[in-house]
Amino acid sequence: MDEKDLIRKAKKGDTLALSKLLQLNYSFLVKYLMKVTLHPQIAEDLTQETMMKCIEKIQLYNGESKFSSWLITIATNLFIDQQRRKKREKNWLEQEQALRKMKWNAAIMNEEWTDVLDVLAQINEEIRMPIVLKHYYGYSYEEIGKMMGIAEGTVKSRVSNGLKSVRKELAELEGV
Amino acid sequence: MKEYDSKNNNSMLDDEDELTVKQLIDGLEKLDKWNPVSTPNLQWFQQNVELEKKRIRKKQWKDLLTFISVAVFVLSVGIAVVYRQPILILYFQLVGIILLPLALNKTRKKVSNE
Repeated sequence: MDEKDLIRKAKKGDTLALSKLLQLNYSFLVKYLMKVTLHPQIAEDLTQETMMKCIEKIQLYNGESKFSSWLITIATNLFIDQQRRKKREKNWLEQEQALRKMKWNAAIMNEEWTDVLDVLAQINEEIRMPIVLKHYYGYSYEEIGKMMGIAEGTVKSRVSNGLKSVRKELAELEGV
Repeated sequence: MKEYDSKNNNSMLDDEDELTVKQLIDGLEKLDKWNPVSTPNLQWFQQNVELEKKRIRKKQWKDLLTFISVAVFVLSVGIAVVYRQPILILYFQLVGIILLPLALNKTRKKVSNE
């Protein structure tokens, strides 16, 4: 059964179809959230929340975008809302702890940590998200604008300025 | 997991940006490698979907009951007032017209504060 059939059945109230649909997209969603939050625990929690929202709103999915893009839109908005509610200082502390844990995971695997992740963690998530969506997932500026509820021009400037700032920070870290 | 052709997607970038994007993609791919995701089995998803559907149904019933109760209350008060003192209806409407701009203003302030 392909994804379209699962979506059609899920919209009619088929629990099994909806469960399969969520299972198929689970890993994609966690990985996306891991990249924008840079925090494994928050990524897991937001994945759960996104799935709950998806169960509630599945009737509203109109098939205009891919199902995975629709999930990314829900997850992105949940993350933005969560960040607005949290205090910036607490966020910074949580982010530091998460980075330490990820560095530990990398060390366990005998892998060298990459500076670019430190730089990404430093920049604001409202800039990090469009950079990841544009340059890792390959979405267009228009699609990202729709996902984040902002104008296409704003996405363009955030990506362009964000990339410049990443380049500058990386050059500083590498001592160029 | 790139869904589109990243080479084509990055064709507008200059050399320096391209290098930064390459570093970004490599870093993010490593992140996937260091934090492997294990997808739970289908039963776990089914349980969650059923629980969530049950919660949504419960919430919808609660909302409907609240709405009906409030509607019945407002209607009863309205009917009672109309039969006993019709002039009070006019007063209520006047108070409403005065309070409406205040209520709207408050909502606007909340949005702009976000």
